[in-house]
Amino acid sequence: MADTTISATFDVYRFDPAVDRSARYQRYTLDLAPHTPVLTALLRIRAEVDPTLSLRYSCRSAICGSCAMQVNSKSRLACETQIGPEIARHGRIVVEPMHNQPVLRDLVVDQTPFWREYERVEPHLKLDPARPMPADRPTSMTPEQVERFKETPRCIACAACYSSCPAVEADPEFPGPMALAKLYRYVVDPRDTATRERLVGIQAGGLWLCLRCHLCTDACPKDVRPSERIRDLKELAIAAQGATEPGSRHAVGFKESIRGAGLLNEMQLVRRTYGPLGLFGQLGQGLRIWRKKPEVVRRPHRIEKVEEIEKIYAALDTGSEAPK
Amino acid sequence: MKFAYYPGCVAQESGKELDLATRWVCRALGIELVEFPSFSCCGSGFVDEANEVLNVAINARNLAIAERAGLNLLTICSTCQGMLTLANHRMADPKVRARVDGALKPLGIEYRGTVRVTHLLRVLVEEVGLPAIRAKVRRPLAGLKVGAFYGCHLLRPTDEMGGEGGGDGEEPHSFEDLLAAIGADPVYYRGRVMCCGFPIQFVKEATANRIAGHQIQDAKSHGADAMATPCPLCHITLDAYQNKAEKAVGARLDMPVFHLPQLVGLALGATPEELGLPRHLVPTEPALARVRPSGA
Ligand code: SF4
Ligand code: SF4
Ligand code: FES
Repeated sequence: MADTTISATFDVYRFDPAVDRSARYQRYTLDLAPHTPVLTALLRIRAEVDPTLSLRYSCRSAICGSCAMQVNSKSRLACETQIGPEIARHGRIVVEPMHNQPVLRDLVVDQTPFWREYERVEPHLKLDPARPMPADRPTSMTPEQVERFKETPRCIACAACYSSCPAVEADPEFPGPMALAKLYRYVVDPRDTATRERLVGIQAGGLWLCLRCHLCTDACPKDVRPSERIRDLKELAIAAQGATEPGSRHAVGFKESIRGAGLLNEMQLVRRTYGPLGLFGQLGQGLRIWRKKPEVVRRPHRIEKVEEIEKIYAALDTGSEAPK
Repeated sequence: MKFAYYPGCVAQESGKELDLATRWVCRALGIELVEFPSFSCCGSGFVDEANEVLNVAINARNLAIAERAGLNLLTICSTCQGMLTLANHRMADPKVRARVDGALKPLGIEYRGTVRVTHLLRVLVEEVGLPAIRAKVRRPLAGLKVGAFYGCHLLRPTDEMGGEGGGDGEEPHSFEDLLAAIGADPVYYRGRVMCCGFPIQFVKEATANRIAGHQIQDAKSHGADAMATPCPLCHITLDAYQNKAEKAVGARLDMPVFHLPQLVGLALGATPEELGLPRHLVPTEPALARVRPSGA
C-alpha cells in the first residue's frame, strides 16, 4: 500500500576522475517502500534525479554478482539488500564502491586485481592426457567425493569477500579469499590430476598470509565460507608437502609445542619457527618484553593429566609435517 | 554465578596481568571462578590449521572437564572463545564426532556437548548486567575516550559465534555498552572489529605490523586516548609489539592498550598495581591522567 513508504536518505559516493580532484558524497532523499532493494533505489535515482550516477548491475536477482558495493560500510549485493533494515539501524544509507580495487567512476571499481588472482589459481580441470575423460558417458562421483566440494560451487564471483579482506589490503602477495576457495574446489576434485602441484604452488604462493579473521565468510552473500576452505587448504598443503614455509612451520611448531606440557611454550615456538638464527633477530624485541614480562622465557608448568594429550595426539596426529 | 575458569596460555604467562585483573573483577562482582589444572591450550587457531580433528579433540577434552563438574566455561581470550566454541560446533558433525570419540573414549573421557562457552565480556554484559555494574562503579572513567578492539574470534564467523544482534548484520556493541557503563566514552571506528595481525606475526612480520599499526592509527584518528581488548593475543600485538607497528606505519602511536577487565577494575576501585598495569610495554599513565576526578 502506498502509505507504507518511508523517507530514505542516501549518501552516495561520487567520483569521476575526468573532472573531480577528490571524491564527494551526494545526498538523495526518496520516498520508498521498506522492502525496496538498494539497487532499485539507485536505479531510480539514476532514472529520475541524476543520470550521471555510474554503477554496475545485471541480473537484479543475486545471481550475477555484479552489484556488490559497500552499503553502510559492509560489502553487500545491492540487489538483495533492502533499505528498511538499513534505515532502521543507521538512519540513512551510505553507498560506496568496494574496497581493495581502484575506483573507475562512482560505484564502479576496476576488478582487474580480483580476476588476475582468480586466473592465477588456474580455475579449470587439469586432466591427464593419457587418461582422457570418457566421451561417450558421464563420469560419476561418490556422494563422499561430492561432499568434499562443500560450499565452494555456490560462488558468484561478486568480490564481496575480496573487498572485505584485510590481507588483500595489506599485502599484494595474498591471492584473496575467492581465488583460494576456487583453488580448494579443484584440489578436492577427484578428476583433477594436478592436486600436488596446486598445493605446493600455493603453500609458497601466499596461502599462509590469511589472517583467519573470517571477515570474508561474514561478507559472502552465498555462504561459500572461504576462510574455512583456506583452513582446509593449509592442512592439505602440509599433508602433501610438509611444512615448508614460515606459516606452516609455525602451525606445526605450535601443535608440537603444546604436546609436552599441554600449554604453549612461547620460547620454544619462536625457536622452532625462526630457527636459531632467526631467534637471534628477535632478541632485541624479546629483551624489551622480558623486562616487563619475565615469564616469556619461563617454561610453562605441565598441566595435570598431560599424558591424555599425548594419547590424543597418538590417536589423531599421524604426522606428515616433515618436508617431503 | 559460577564458571569453570579457562584462563588460556597467555594469561598464565606473559599476559599475567589479564589473569590478575580478571580475578579482581570477578571477586568484586561475585563471579566464582573454579580452576581446573588439567585444562590444556586451546590450540590458538594454529593447531586448527595443522590438524582440524586434533584441535577439536583437545578442546572437547577441555569441555568434558567442565561438563563433568557441571559448569559452563568462562574464557578471557577471543581466540580461546573461538576455538572452544568451534569445537562445540564441529562435534555436531557425526564424522568428526566419531573420530574424536575414538580418541577420547579409551581415556575414559566423554563429551556430551552440554557446555556453554562464554567470554568474560558477555558474562559482564548479559549475566551480571550493566545496571549492576554501574551501581558498583566507584571511580567512573569520565573523559577517557576508549576504542574497543574485539578480536576476530570473539565475533566471527558470526553464525557460529552466536554474534550479537542474532547475526542479522547488526554491528557488535556490547563492549562499547560496557565502556559507557563504567563512565568512559566509547569511540567507534572501522578497525574495532578488524584483525590485529597476530596470526601472521610469524609468517610475514612487516605485513602483520602494518595491519596492527593501521588499526591503532584508525582508533587514534577517531579520538581514542586508549584502546581496550578482550583478547590477550590482540594485546600482545597492540601493546608489546606497538614499537614495531610504529616503524611499519612510520608514525608515533603512543597508544595505551588495556585488557578489558583492567578498565572495569579501575572503575570499580582497583589500583593500577592490582591490575598489573605496570607490566604493559606502552605506559598507561597518560590515559589514566585523562580521567576526570569524580564530581568534577
Ligand atoms: S579469513 Fe583470510 S581470506 Fe578471509 S578475509 Fe580474513 S584474511 Fe582474508
Ligand atoms: S566467495 Fe562469496 S563473497 Fe567471495 S566472490 Fe564468491 S560469492 Fe562473492
Ligand atoms: S545485480 Fe546480479 S547479483 Fe545483484
